Amino acid sequence: MILVTGGAFQGKTEYARTQLGVPHENILDGEDCSFDAVQTAECVKTYHQLIKRLLSSGVDPLDFTRRLCIENPDAVILMDEIGCGIIPLEKAERLWREAAGRAGCIIAGQAETVVRISCGIPVIIKGAFA
Amino acid sequence: MMILITGGSKCGKSHYAESLFYNFDGQKFYIATMQPFGDEAQAAIRRHREMRRNKGFETIEKYTDTEDLQLPGGCGILLECMGNLCANEMFRSSVVCNPAEKILSGILHLKKIAALLIIVTNEVACDGISYECGTSAYIRVLNEINCRIAEMADHVMECVYGIPVALKGTIL
Repeated sequence: MILVTGGAFQGKTEYARTQLGVPHENILDGEDCSFDAVQTAECVKTYHQLIKRLLSSGVDPLDFTRRLCIENPDAVILMDEIGCGIIPLEKAERLWREAAGRAGCIIAGQAETVVRISCGIPVIIKGAFA
Repeated sequence: MMILITGGSKCGKSHYAESLFYNFDGQKFYIATMQPFGDEAQAAIRRHREMRRNKGFETIEKYTDTEDLQLPGGCGILLECMGNLCANEMFRSSVVCNPAEKILSGILHLKKIAALLIIVTNEVACDGISYECGTSAYIRVLNEINCRIAEMADHVMECVYGIPVALKGTIL
């Protein structure tokens, strides 16, 4: 498993395509893909938005993520870092941030390699590429 | 040489950027892109002016159109900051435009002139907030510009409480 993270619009998808060699059509978008498809996808982007959708559909995003790690252990997951702002006033937003943070930790814990991208520049923060 | 410096608000980017000019012998220009709107902007400008006093920088206030700047070859240029320049270009009229190509051609123009070009930008994309369309477009465009400048730059630094962390190249 590979986790690619960083702030929004830093070049994560571009990195997955050009550096990890994931074909564009194999990248699912967490904003609108089916939940089932995630469990077999080669690559899922905007995983933080998938978590928001799981929450609003009443699916436990942490169980979902643990299952992903077991059933799809070679997946490439692209997920924004979203936890650096002020704690949101709205409860749903707080729950989302918390779930996204914990899910990110689960994926990063499972992943052999974690890459953080800023300004289009990848920094490997866990493991290495073979 | 071209250096991009990024980081969050008040992380010591300006001070670090200026320190990189200590040993620069040529003429030094500071391109200030912040428009003096309101008390907080004026206070920030005063604070930055105080920091640059006696460091030999000539300040040029240029809020848009950096591609028009005429400066002597071989000079040193510190442009601060890309976040303001991007907003100024993007929201200069009632019609919001994408100024990425225009800004990048300005930067390329400055890169050709300068012996040392340092650009200070701003990290604004890590709070996870979904903003209304104007703001989210701004975040997207600013980061597109940051990525492309980082590609051109020899060194890219992220400042963390005044500590430079090298994203590309080496710590200077």
